[in-house]
Amino acid sequence: MKLSFSIFLAILSSIIVIFILLPVVTTISVQFYDFNELTKAMSDKTVWDSIFLTYYAALISTLIAIIFGTPLAYILSRYDFRGKSIIEGIVDVPVVIPHTVAGIALLAVFGSNGLIGSFSPIKFVDALPGIVVAMLFVSIPIYLNTAKEGFTSVNLRLEQVARTLGASPAKVFFTISLPLVIRHIAAGAIMAWARAISEFGAVVVIAYYPMVAPTLIYERFLSTGLSAARPIAVILILLSLAVFVILRILLWNKKEQEV
Amino acid sequence: MKAEKKFRNFKLNVNFSMDNCYCVVLGPTGAGKSLLLETIAGILKPDKGKIVIDGEDVTKLPPEKRKIGFVPQDYALFPHMNVYKNIAYGIKDKEEKRKKVEEIAEKLGIFNLLDRKPATLSGGEKQRVALARALVIQPKLILLDEPLSAVDLRTKEKLMNELKFVHSEFKIPVIHVTHSLIEAVMLADEIAIMMNGKIVEKGEAKKILSSPSKDVADFLAVSNLFKKLNEIL
Repeated sequence: MKLSFSIFLAILSSIIVIFILLPVVTTISVQFYDFNELTKAMSDKTVWDSIFLTYYAALISTLIAIIFGTPLAYILSRYDFRGKSIIEGIVDVPVVIPHTVAGIALLAVFGSNGLIGSFSPIKFVDALPGIVVAMLFVSIPIYLNTAKEGFTSVNLRLEQVARTLGASPAKVFFTISLPLVIRHIAAGAIMAWARAISEFGAVVVIAYYPMVAPTLIYERFLSTGLSAARPIAVILILLSLAVFVILRILLWNKKEQEV
Repeated sequence: MKAEKKFRNFKLNVNFSMDNCYCVVLGPTGAGKSLLLETIAGILKPDKGKIVIDGEDVTKLPPEKRKIGFVPQDYALFPHMNVYKNIAYGIKDKEEKRKKVEEIAEKLGIFNLLDRKPATLSGGEKQRVALARALVIQPKLILLDEPLSAVDLRTKEKLMNELKFVHSEFKIPVIHVTHSLIEAVMLADEIAIMMNGKIVEKGEAKKILSSPSKDVADFLAVSNLFKKLNEIL
C-alpha cells in the first residue's frame, strides 16, 4: 500500500517534469543536427543585439520593481488598513489579464496619444522605455509577492526590540528588516527579471521595434519559418539557463554562509 | 501606570505602580501579560490612561524615546549580526561604543562570545546577550517576557541567579512576566497577579505568597500547598 502510493506519486510527478523538459530538450537537441543554421544565427549581429536588448530592458524593469516595489511589499506585509485587500487585488491584475491586453492598456497610457505618452518627453512606442514599461507591468506582481513573503517571515519582535533600543522606524527598516529579507528580494528580482525576459505579448503591442529576442524569434518564424526561428530560440534558452543557474548558485552559497 | 486598551475580544485594564524593585507579574496564559509589556514598551498605544516612568509621562512617546529595555520570550537577537553588533545596536555614542560593549560583556561573562552569531549560542548565552543589549542603553526599566520558559530546570536556576545579580548590580527596576510560581518565589520583591487583563492583586512578595486570596490560590492551583506551608511555618 505504502509502496504503491509512492509509485503513484512518482509517476504523476515525473509526467509534469517530463512535460516541461521534453520541448526544451527536443528543441536544443534537434538544433545540433542542424548545426549550420545555429552557427549562422550565432554570427548574426541582429540576434545578439536583440538578446542584449532583452536582458538590458529586463534589468532596468527589475531595478524599477525593486525600488518602488520593496516599500509597497513592506507596507502590505506590516500594516492593516482599509482597502488593503483592494490594493492586493490590484497588484495581481497583471497576472490575470492576457498580455496582449496588457499591451493595449499600456498603449492607452504610454501611446503617442495616450494619457502620459501625449505630453511625455520620453518616447515609449517603438522604443526602449516602451519595452521597459511592458516588462515592468507583467513582472512586478512576481517581485512584490516574493518580497512581501520575505517581510512577513521576519519576526516582528526583532523590529519591536530594535525600536526599544532607540532606533527610528526608518533605521529599523534599513538595519533589521531589509538585511533579513535580502535573499527574498534577490530571489524575487531574479524571477521578475526572468519573467521580463520571457515577455512577448505586451512588448510586441507597444514596441515591435527595436526587437527583443522573443519578437525577433516570432518575426523569423513568420517570415522564414521554423528553421530560421529555432536557432535563436536555442541560443536564448541556453544563455538564459546559464544565467539563472549561476544566479541560483550564488544565492545558494549566500544561504549556506549565513547558516 | 494606568492604562486601558481594548482589542477585538479582550480588554487590558491595569492600574499599578512600582518602585525600584524586582516585580514579578504572575498570571495564566492569556491573561494579557505580554500585552501589558508591549503597552509599557510603547509597541501598543493604550486607548485611555497614562504611563509614567521616572516622573515623566511617556504615554504618547514612541518606543525609541522611552528608554525601556525589552527582553522578549525568544530573546529576538538580530540573527544577521554577531553578538558585538547586537549589543552595540542601541548605543548612540560612536566613540564609546567598543568600551561600553566590552564593559557589559565582561560583567555578564559573554566577552568571549562577541564574535559569534546568535544561532550558535545556547539558551543561557542568548539570554545574557539579550540582557546586555537591553542594559547597555541604561534603561529606566527592564521588561522580561517569560525569560525562563525555554530552558531546562538546571539552567533555569542558574539564570535566575543571573537575573537577581543583574537587578542588584545595575539597580534598574525589573518587570518580569511569567506563569511560573517558582520564578515568583525565587525572584520577586513584589508580586502582581494578573488575570483576564487585570491586575487582581499586588503587593510585597512575602505578603502575597503567605496569604493569597482564594482566587489567586485557585489560579495558582496551589491552595493546598499554601495550607500545608502555613502549617509547617
